[in-house]
Amino acid sequence: MLQTLIHQELLGHLMSARFFAAVIITLLLVVANTFVLIGAHEERLADYNQKEAVNREAVDATPTYSILKLKVQRPPNPLSLFSAGLETRFGSDLDIAFDSVPVLSNPIVDVRPEEEQWAFGSVPSLSSPGAPLGINNPYLHLFSQIDLIFVFQVVLSLIALLFAYDAIAGDWETGTLRLVLSHPIGRGSVLFAKYIAAMVCLLLPVLMSLLLTLIQCSFARSVQFGGDDFLRIGGIVLTTIVYLSVFYLIGLLVSTITRRAATSLMLCMFLWVILVIVYPNWSRFALNPEGDIRAEKRSAEQQIAQIREKADRERHRFLANSPLKGEPPIFSESEAFPGLFSGSGYFFLGDFPRVNLELKDTAHPLVPHLHRYYEFAAPLQIRNAEEVGFVGQRLVTQTTLRQARWDERLMKLSPASLYTFATAAWAGTDLASMADYIQTAQAYRRTLIDTFHERDAFASQQWFAPNQGDIDWSILPRFHFERAEVGINAQRALPELFLLLCTNIVLFMATFLIFIKVEV
Amino acid sequence: MIWHIVTRELLDHLTSLRFALTTFIFVALMVTNAVVHLQTHPERVRKYSEKVNASQTELKSRTELYALLQKGPGKLYKRPSSLAFIADGGEALLTDESVSGGFWRLYDLSYIWSLGVPRLNMEAISNLRPTATAIDWVFIITYLLSFIPLLFTFDALSGERERGTLRLCLANSISRSILLMGKFFGSLITVLIAFYCAVLLNLAIISTESWTQLSGADWGRLGLIVLIASCYAGIFVAIGLIISAMTRESRLSLVLLLLIWVTVVVFMPSTLGTLSTRWMPPIQTHHQFQRAKGAAIDQIRSDFLNKREVLREHRQSAETSQKEVAGVDTSELEIQRELVSKDMEIRERLSRQHLAAQSAQVLHARRITRCSPAAIVQYALESMAGTGFNRHLQFLEHCRLHIRQFRNFIVEMDRADSESLHFVGVRRGMSEKSVSPEAIPVFEDKLTFQDTLNPAIMDILLLVLLLGGVLSGAFLVFLRSEV
Repeated sequence: MLQTLIHQELLGHLMSARFFAAVIITLLLVVANTFVLIGAHEERLADYNQKEAVNREAVDATPTYSILKLKVQRPPNPLSLFSAGLETRFGSDLDIAFDSVPVLSNPIVDVRPEEEQWAFGSVPSLSSPGAPLGINNPYLHLFSQIDLIFVFQVVLSLIALLFAYDAIAGDWETGTLRLVLSHPIGRGSVLFAKYIAAMVCLLLPVLMSLLLTLIQCSFARSVQFGGDDFLRIGGIVLTTIVYLSVFYLIGLLVSTITRRAATSLMLCMFLWVILVIVYPNWSRFALNPEGDIRAEKRSAEQQIAQIREKADRERHRFLANSPLKGEPPIFSESEAFPGLFSGSGYFFLGDFPRVNLELKDTAHPLVPHLHRYYEFAAPLQIRNAEEVGFVGQRLVTQTTLRQARWDERLMKLSPASLYTFATAAWAGTDLASMADYIQTAQAYRRTLIDTFHERDAFASQQWFAPNQGDIDWSILPRFHFERAEVGINAQRALPELFLLLCTNIVLFMATFLIFIKVEV
Repeated sequence: MIWHIVTRELLDHLTSLRFALTTFIFVALMVTNAVVHLQTHPERVRKYSEKVNASQTELKSRTELYALLQKGPGKLYKRPSSLAFIADGGEALLTDESVSGGFWRLYDLSYIWSLGVPRLNMEAISNLRPTATAIDWVFIITYLLSFIPLLFTFDALSGERERGTLRLCLANSISRSILLMGKFFGSLITVLIAFYCAVLLNLAIISTESWTQLSGADWGRLGLIVLIASCYAGIFVAIGLIISAMTRESRLSLVLLLLIWVTVVVFMPSTLGTLSTRWMPPIQTHHQFQRAKGAAIDQIRSDFLNKREVLREHRQSAETSQKEVAGVDTSELEIQRELVSKDMEIRERLSRQHLAAQSAQVLHARRITRCSPAAIVQYALESMAGTGFNRHLQFLEHCRLHIRQFRNFIVEMDRADSESLHFVGVRRGMSEKSVSPEAIPVFEDKLTFQDTLNPAIMDILLLVLLLGGVLSGAFLVFLRSEV
């Protein structure tokens, strides 16, 4: 009996013109958007490769250790096709220097007076990601980007509601419900049959669009999915099913409560507009639970200034006992100063000089003192940077990160946003994955410092003078950012998935309980 | 007769559940919009006036003509629109200040101020917070004022046909066109009643604050905006009637309408925009632009150095032949002036070209997205509210005009001084008289009614044509349909 019911419901849906129209439109939208998204991905990839080449050239041309400025990048993630998340918006390139700690964002910048902002751009000792990849024309950001998940989120949830709104109310109106229940069949089975049939019908457009997308991707050489990626895509499909089921059950619940299909339809449509279109934007626009965070930023800035002063004092104390006089790196008040360097190449980043000064005479009596100075000053600078980095990171978790998390939490009151965040977690384009990238960069910086220590770079002459010829940069460790494993992605998606599942269960139970009591 | 139908339709709609839900959602969103505007706008205005004051006091503190030329008019700021609550227009991305070009020194020469490529505030995009659209009037109108008319019309004809009342109605001496008009106005007026209530509430909240002084022109613009919105709602009422007349079943009619809505309103404005740029010739990347600029500047510098070398040799031979030095001195000033002014011109020209290429791409994409009425309304409302891309281009144009005026002023002042050598751009060749601070031209970003209307006229025209088109489409379809 259950089978007959499912069979009949399925045929009813599948043969209807509305189902046909829905599938056609979904597929059209998916194909058009995949085309656009693959193009955007290719652009990002090209930009990535070009920047990598430029960075490598810049490193090879670096004459001394101290002015080495490494740039690392996050390779574009092909799964951003499905869920763009932060991937296409969040910056990619990150400066790696022995004395600057990578952080997610640099929240101190906007409390500085404007003139200073211009001068530094950012707080030295903290480096945060720059521009996102692949934007030749940043004005095009005025057009919002759409990913495949958005198509499912908007179109399929609408279809799910349209399947559900007259499931009970419509049958009740036409009297078929009474007819069906006159058979020896439980009310639960009727609900279940309707649910299963609708979910199968909803799964069809999802799978078809997935198929089309994968075919399109296989034609584009730039988008290559690994074995793990298919597991992630599987996770995304699973989340999609759970999400669509939420909307179907919302429709079913409304349909059981109301007596008329027309009323049920209106309620469903308004619920849909609110949950999918209005609420996610509204919560971000109207609610600002963190309020003003300037005070925290200011206090962090003061702490950073104190750390710097302390380091400055130590440097001065060291220089007081040294025959080097005057300000580093030229020490212009030292005796026999003019004889020390030829040419002048140095710049300050923060308060530490990056030096590329050719020595006139490597046997000059002051040269060993220069060595000693840098051997002292560079590790001091590293310690200093680490302290600043500690303050900076704490500030980021207190301000930017907390703000982003609050936004997410509030948005998650809508199942549509739950779905967005869950899929972003699967695809590795969520906040946690960006934090992974920063962590990898931090680890990379530590290996860089270790390499410097191994080669005794701080005490060497190549730290400040190019006299001994070019440095062999092939010893530098390679930066390699590996996306988190599938298991970790799954873990991150789990809370949202769980919430969606719970919503499902609650909705189904509610519908069931009401349906049992309903008079037919 | 038609009014009889309209009033009946109206009464029907006004007492329905959908009208209550519509009113609720419009009012909730409009109130949110007004409250957030009241919270954020004063801060924006205060910052603007602070920045403008600071930049003007700095400008007035310079009295030397050369310093004025070198430091330029300072930063020029975009005035925040008093109607910013209508259209957000991506203002967070588009910066509100002009940017100066490069800084350099060569011997005793140095740069003079030039207008650079406007930077964009990438912080607005590349932050960690989840993306969301602002709940401005544009959002409320483009999404809801299209969605809700469909809910009122999807069963207007197909539903009556299903119940058989359509046949009954047409059996009376009512022509089909009258019936259609009655349905059209009945639904449109219902939707607009809810919308106007919300609009009035929104404006009432906004005008409670004393600092929101909406001028006469602002009210005029608001009136036009409401008209545009009504026209847009009319388009979707007509679309709803077309599909409703075409289909036998109101369920099918609803599905078709919602799919059309999703495609036209949600997807087309963004997908078409990005899609169209794929077939356009690629523009210079930032890297290429910097390289081209560097090459051009190196070229004029090496020209300058060559000329200088020639001049030195010439002077040495002149000294041997005991000629006057003064004449040679001015020719050195002349090549210096040439370097400085050429450098400034090249910087400005290249930045202008780069910006032109970028904005051509955006404008092209916007032209293509005008297939969707939602995009048309968005652009029209942005122009009317004085925000968005067109306004940004206007602001940059105002900056350019002001700079021309500013430079003319300096040349005039220099010419008025008989002691000056009239080599504008070189310190030694310029007048050393001090300038009275009152005489210096001051930049004030103004937005006239004309400025806002001109770019919007095209969009308004398109909308009206579209409304006519879909309305006549509805007639044709309904005339041919069987009842």
